[in-house]
Amino acid sequence: MSEESLRVAVVGLGKMGWLHASILNVMPNVQVIALCDKSSLLLKFAKRLFKKVQVVDGVEKLCDLDLDSVYVTTPISAHFPVVKAIYLKRVTRNLFVEKTLASSWDKARELCELAQGFGGVNMVGYMKRFAVTFSKAKSILNQGALGEVVSFEAYAYSSDFSGIQKGSKISASRGGVLSDLGAHIIDLALWFFGDLKVDSAMLKSMVKESCEDSAHFRVGQSGLEGLLDVSWCMDNYRLPSFGLVIKGDKGILRVNEDSVELKLNDGKSSMWYRHDLDDNVGFLLGEPEYYREDECFINSVLTGSKAEPSFSTASRVDYVIDQVKKKAGRNDWRNEKDIACG
Amino acid sequence: MTGEMKKILLVGDNPFHGISHLSQERARARGDTINHAEYAAHLVMTSLENGACGFMFSVSETTLSTLRIIREKMGSMCPTLYAIVPYAYEYVRLATHLGGTSGLAKKLGKQIAISCNVRAIMTGLKGVIKMDPEALMKTYLIYEISRIKSSAGKQQNLRSVLLHEIITDMALALDSDWLFKAYIDFVSELGIEPGFETRNFAYLVNKFREWDIDFGEITIATPFNKVGFQMNPSKKECERALAEVPESNVIAMSVLAAGYLKLPEAIEYIQRLSSLKGVVVGVSKEKHAYETFRLLKERLEA
Repeated sequence: MSEESLRVAVVGLGKMGWLHASILNVMPNVQVIALCDKSSLLLKFAKRLFKKVQVVDGVEKLCDLDLDSVYVTTPISAHFPVVKAIYLKRVTRNLFVEKTLASSWDKARELCELAQGFGGVNMVGYMKRFAVTFSKAKSILNQGALGEVVSFEAYAYSSDFSGIQKGSKISASRGGVLSDLGAHIIDLALWFFGDLKVDSAMLKSMVKESCEDSAHFRVGQSGLEGLLDVSWCMDNYRLPSFGLVIKGDKGILRVNEDSVELKLNDGKSSMWYRHDLDDNVGFLLGEPEYYREDECFINSVLTGSKAEPSFSTASRVDYVIDQVKKKAGRNDWRNEKDIACG
Repeated sequence: MTGEMKKILLVGDNPFHGISHLSQERARARGDTINHAEYAAHLVMTSLENGACGFMFSVSETTLSTLRIIREKMGSMCPTLYAIVPYAYEYVRLATHLGGTSGLAKKLGKQIAISCNVRAIMTGLKGVIKMDPEALMKTYLIYEISRIKSSAGKQQNLRSVLLHEIITDMALALDSDWLFKAYIDFVSELGIEPGFETRNFAYLVNKFREWDIDFGEITIATPFNKVGFQMNPSKKECERALAEVPESNVIAMSVLAAGYLKLPEAIEYIQRLSSLKGVVVGVSKEKHAYETFRLLKERLEA
């Protein structure tokens, strides 16, 4: 590892690639060395914008750059080949991959095995964990303020494809709502409650048959029941919105991006807004959680400590998504609650 | 009161776009009425009648329609305009629906071609052929400014065009001094004050000083509020940065910390920052418009 600063490359120059490259560029102890993408148009543009950064069109061209870590921000379908190539070509052992880790549980598992073999620090970009409200909820749960958790309901909604023409291929190119939007709320549920078993599931395609646009599924774990509802066809969700209502034997906890509310059975209640939870960061781009997750990964690489969510932790999301798809195939939910979508 | 001069009071457009930084649920609960240009224009005009002297807005179909209605109703009494470009949310939404940035670029190119703005078309062609980000930026600015002027009419008083925070902050992060300088030169040549919206004010001040950018010639819109909401990296650093550039034209945003603060306590904090040149506040109801700007005028212009 370089003594002065970490030498980092970003592979994939979509929205998330630019965002991470920008945040990394303002961090002390980080030097963005290279950007990589297949698109010649984006490469030309990047060359104009980044005068001091190498711009390359293939992962193999990163081999000789003495990199300390690589960010993989390609579309999900490319995570598997790109991450595999980075390991096998020994570009670096320290990898940050945008969520989800892979496009299937099998591929995610293979990447976990590779990561274990090569060592280093690895992390997946489930940034909602770094939002102050969800962190506060996690700490309330850890303190046992809710007592025994009995049930929860969770949602992830956006209006990304609300009103879009039926048959459009655009939503399919994003890989389906489960990987795109649902992965965040699944990760939060796993973070809060530990491993969850999918009991039943229903998927709906509103835009294109081959791609799910909404999902409704029931999960469980000894004594705990959970319901998750995910859709990117909702009206009036200007920004993606995530939230959970958690019931324990001592009270109820409500959390979303904006606030946390704890209501106990004894009548006591508390409310925290983002404003109350020290939401400022070194540099704000997009949401503060992006800076915090990058800071977490970089610090882990610098200190050689484990970053969370690691590949192994994050692969559980791929597992749940896989299970939801399998369960939905059994039509367990056909006669149950319909999903509001579009 | 410590402020030596009257502060510029602007009405903002966030509520018209369904934005509430305190609670997305609250924004959804407001419903669609507020997004209607007729209602938005009424709120802007009520604010102007009660102390606001200008309108700060992101350039969108809603706000352009709002400007057309204001022009029809107010005629030559046109408010001072502070426009923020691009309206990032709308472009991200469009990119999603059009299959990414290439789809968005095609759509925008088509709109510019349809606009028949010869200067924009020629500059744009140069930008595309040479993949020149500066030429592309100029094309886009010509296009947006022409949309504003055509909606606001001949009597319009377009004081400043500000780069949206996502562009400002990304360009800051990428150390793109050339982009800031090119933007300032180009917008100034058009007789408009160049401006920047940022959520990293302290960082911006450091960089602009390093790049010798004259703070007296630009407008900056950035959060300032009692609880330090969106004041990065900290309230203290932002206050220190403001004190270092008293010649700057800083308009405070989020003075109510997105509804977290009551107006009197918000004003009390703003009064302490004598280097602030103005404030922008969004309103969602007629009563809010009346009460907010009456009190702002009374306390900040006394």
